[in-house]
Amino acid sequence: MAACRALVSRAVLPLHYHHVCRGVMLTHIREKKRWMKAYSLIMERKRKMEGPPPPKPRSQQPNFDYHAEVEAFSARLRESFSLELLKTAFVNVCYLRSEEERRRALGLDLETTVFNLKDNGELCVHGQQFTEAFLSDWCRGSFPSLPQEGVAAIVGHLTGSEVMCHVARNLTVEELTMSAEFPVPDETLQGTFFAVIGALEQSSGSVQARLFIRDFLVTQLRGKDLFDLWEVVDPMGLLVKELTWKGIALPEPRLIQSAGASTVLPLYFVGLYSDGKLLAQGPGETVLAAEEEAARVALRKLYGFTENRRPWDYTAPYEQLQKPSAQALTSG
Amino acid sequence: MTARGTPSRFLQSVLHNGVGRYVCQLKRISLIFSKKGQGSLGVRDFIEEGVVDFAKSSPGTVVYISPQSCRIPKIVAEYLNGNVKEETVTNKTSQEIAELITKLSNQSGLDIIRIRKPFHTDSPSIQGQWHPFTNRPPSIDPVGPQSK
Repeated sequence: MAACRALVSRAVLPLHYHHVCRGVMLTHIREKKRWMKAYSLIMERKRKMEGPPPPKPRSQQPNFDYHAEVEAFSARLRESFSLELLKTAFVNVCYLRSEEERRRALGLDLETTVFNLKDNGELCVHGQQFTEAFLSDWCRGSFPSLPQEGVAAIVGHLTGSEVMCHVARNLTVEELTMSAEFPVPDETLQGTFFAVIGALEQSSGSVQARLFIRDFLVTQLRGKDLFDLWEVVDPMGLLVKELTWKGIALPEPRLIQSAGASTVLPLYFVGLYSDGKLLAQGPGETVLAAEEEAARVALRKLYGFTENRRPWDYTAPYEQLQKPSAQALTSG
Repeated sequence: MTARGTPSRFLQSVLHNGVGRYVCQLKRISLIFSKKGQGSLGVRDFIEEGVVDFAKSSPGTVVYISPQSCRIPKIVAEYLNGNVKEETVTNKTSQEIAELITKLSNQSGLDIIRIRKPFHTDSPSIQGQWHPFTNRPPSIDPVGPQSK
């Protein structure tokens, strides 16, 4: 059967055929395709040469309805956004510029085709100020003895691009953002998230916006250590300053325990005593490192940012939020 | 395969879900089915009866119905953390599909792999983790057996 088909194909050209590429001619038969192997190998080689395709934004993939997605975004977070404000919050300046250029390049007359989108600049600024103000108040309320630099460091960490972009990506803000480039750069995403908070404040009021920031940004502090967020170069100096300000005697370091002094992994425990009473003790590989660690432990105890502190109570109603000092007793 | 041969993860939640407020982790569900194929009968029945109720009960999830000419009907679920889960629903009844969709909407998008520990805590110790030097009287001498 195959032999006579070969004779036929050499003698007479089949009716329907086309060249797929050099070396592969496609004829329509229903049996095993002889061109399939060559074609697959060529495509494989092409794919290997070009590498993986660039990522496409979700809005350009099938099954995406922008209005429905925005409504679902608002419902998912259990907030009632005003959809207009929310849609404005997602539009970035870079997107508007790139759209205008594209329309100009396509030759569309800018007067006839009205481009009616506002960008999210004001909402972004407003949202950022509101967030930073609320987070500073919350910090000062729940850690009353934390100095200004500490508060600024914590607020800076929570409003920094790492944490904000992580939260934004896991809340689908990145998919709904309209920006010129994809993947959306971190600053744009951070600005869009601030704009969303600004839109929430303007649609539902500052109470709801504060609860939103508490539920999504303050939770990112769980499991974090104070000195990971706040870089302190000289903890002993800071401790001395704090204690003099409080009027407590200055700390004296004493070696409490030592083990393995002549080995590769020595361990020293240094305790800080003020007026005969133990403030804190800390371990270290050298006596100096142990003293520094003890100073850090003492600072954590002073500021109430220890690992075993009582966690923040997220079920407390809004009145508690307004007077964060009331919750400071159970320092969150 | 053994535990080392298969992937595993620790118990975690996306963005500490539930600590602040609970956010349904399913963001998009697409029902891909054929208008005439016999394998999509269950999906077609589900679309007639149950999909509108499901969409109303979970307002945070966008439901897409896409009839295509396909041999195998699928349900594609996308989660907030970016994971996409595809389930084939050939020859399933409408009831089974409804249960499957409820299961998908209750999942977080994290991988279904072995969970190393069934617990996780951010504050593992209240009084301080014990180490060999807790409750040991201070001494400058190197470590040795305590004399009682």
